[in-house]
Amino acid sequence: MESKIRITPFEDGLVIKFSGELDSSKTMLYRDKIHREMTSSGPRFLLFDLKDCSFLDSAGIGLILGRFNEVEKVAGGCGFIHLSPYARKVIKISGLFSVMKEYSSLMEFRKDMGVKL
Amino acid sequence: MNKMELRFSATLANESLARTAVSAFIAPLNPSLEEIGEIKTMVSEAVSNAIIHGYGFDSAKEVILRCELDQSVLTLVVIDYGKGIENIENAKKPHYSSRPDLERAGMGLTIMETLADSFTIRSVLGMGSKVIIRKEILSEETYEKEGV
Repeated sequence: MESKIRITPFEDGLVIKFSGELDSSKTMLYRDKIHREMTSSGPRFLLFDLKDCSFLDSAGIGLILGRFNEVEKVAGGCGFIHLSPYARKVIKISGLFSVMKEYSSLMEFRKDMGVKL
Repeated sequence: MNKMELRFSATLANESLARTAVSAFIAPLNPSLEEIGEIKTMVSEAVSNAIIHGYGFDSAKEVILRCELDQSVLTLVVIDYGKGIENIENAKKPHYSSRPDLERAGMGLTIMETLADSFTIRSVLGMGSKVIIRKEILSEETYEKEGV
């Protein structure tokens, strides 16, 4: 499968979907793409969709953690959706679940984040 | 017993080659998707450490990847002849990175240590590093039989 990123805005945030392999040959490029989108729309909430993500390592974890650190500065937050058992395991080991949770839908994520509004 | 060895230039573009080669090597054991993912993640962590930290992105250098299958036990060895690790205990600490600018979370060794059945790292300053990972592959059939 071809590796790509798709960024879809919603009112106050972005859904960032990774397909294929999220490895270090992609993360630099993806960081720039997300950065451009964040600069133009100023989102506070980021939902990472890993439905079609077949590979994850610390490069991808670092990319996600870096974006979390950015939205945290504006009292925002991040979440995950569509995690495979494999992706869930890598994320758990990395400790990312201590700062962001897994959700079953965009609606659930917005509701949970809405508390902070 | 089955063996293979791969030598490749120390560039991140070859990370994918290393992962793909290992997953093809273990394919006859019929591993689950989760096992394939975990093994690919470990290969990538070890290989990217060799490229980034061992060789400092010098693509003129070579990374060596050895794989061995003894029945259902996979042994992965990743070797670089780069600069070595000054303090392995520090490197093993979660969230520690000698290159925080690269935004890689500093979790590579923790991830390998957790996913592997056994994990060893040896390093000599100025000589290089060697990572040895062992992992038993339980084929999908075994999973079903044991009801895991």
